[in-house]
Amino acid sequence: MHIPDGFLSPQTYLPAYALAAGGWVYAARELRRRVDETLLPRLAVLTALAFVLMTVMLPLPGGTSVHASGIGILAVIFGPWLTFAVVSLVLLLQALVLGAGGITVLPVNALAMGLGGSVAACLGYRLLAPRWERAGLFAAGWLAAVVPAALVAVVLGLQPAIAHRSDGQPLFFPFGLSVTLPAVLIPHAILGLGEGLLTVLVVSFLRRR
Amino acid sequence: MKDRLLLLGYAIAVVAATSVHNPWWLAAGLLLVAVLAGRQAPTIGWRALRAVLFFSLVISVGYAAGALFGQAVSLDYLILVNIRVYLLIFLTFTLASKIDILRALSFSRNLSYLVTLVLSQIIPFRRLFEDLRLAAESRRLRRLRLRERYLQSAAAAVHLFDRAEHDAREIALAMRSRGFFQPDAPDNAPGD
Repeated sequence: MHIPDGFLSPQTYLPAYALAAGGWVYAARELRRRVDETLLPRLAVLTALAFVLMTVMLPLPGGTSVHASGIGILAVIFGPWLTFAVVSLVLLLQALVLGAGGITVLPVNALAMGLGGSVAACLGYRLLAPRWERAGLFAAGWLAAVVPAALVAVVLGLQPAIAHRSDGQPLFFPFGLSVTLPAVLIPHAILGLGEGLLTVLVVSFLRRR
Repeated sequence: MKDRLLLLGYAIAVVAATSVHNPWWLAAGLLLVAVLAGRQAPTIGWRALRAVLFFSLVISVGYAAGALFGQAVSLDYLILVNIRVYLLIFLTFTLASKIDILRALSFSRNLSYLVTLVLSQIIPFRRLFEDLRLAAESRRLRRLRLRERYLQSAAAAVHLFDRAEHDAREIALAMRSRGFFQPDAPDNAPGD
């Protein structure tokens, strides 16, 4: 669901950097308040874990598979702020070390996946888990896939309105909301079912011991 | 210092590449980056092409298909957006080949330690994950059913979590024993 570099206007990614920077500062304070001196190694190891979790294959019917995001799992276990910090670091490393994603799209991807996805996952889990634990976990995984997709679709779909020539020709991403919302949301609503199932299995296994 | 300057130059170049909407200027920028990449330019260029090809093709074909439905389609737009996307990824790969990321982030002690730890942990995690995958492959006689494949993925993820918890404790102890964590509370001060 990463947006690749070059499709977002500076009018979008520069304010997004300001917003994300606020989130990163808050996340750093929140983590420092909550966690002791093990914070740095814990954050590092979880970032490496998230990096690898994103390569865990999500099986699909018919023998195919796609990459999981692991955001629902991380959000339920560690909460939204640690997840936001970890996902932001993963995206930064993917952009600078692997050239995946990109530096212009980093704040939007981080806010959508790391913050939007994890907050939605935590809310869904807290709402349902007191009565239906597994339904809460499933909702966390599903929302962690669908909410970032919706946010990314909205940001992409607004690009033709935000940045265009005087004759209306787009300068960055060319399609409006009527195209991006169904094109991004429908596949992710289906993929989210797999992400939800994986979240149920992983968190249940971890708690059973 | 050189790495930090390169990182700063990269950030400026990225903003410039997204603020300029003339394909000729972007093409000139691409040429400049290719010159900076030196002898690695063909390799980086090919890697960049492979990285952008799928997404750019999908967007370009989707946009061009609008002509079939009577929408206004501009060749200028296709040239502009494809050159920009390629320039940005070429720039990023060139930076990645020239820069020492740890030195570039050395302005923050914690950030550079964090990135060092992350990079050092990714390799064993990836190896462990690949070992688990190969072990599972070598032990099955038939194609796994969907449920079994989910259970296998979940078991691998759980093992990675266990390993992460263990490694975090180990690293914290190792860092403490080497004096990384400074005592900041007054009751930890010597003589108290």
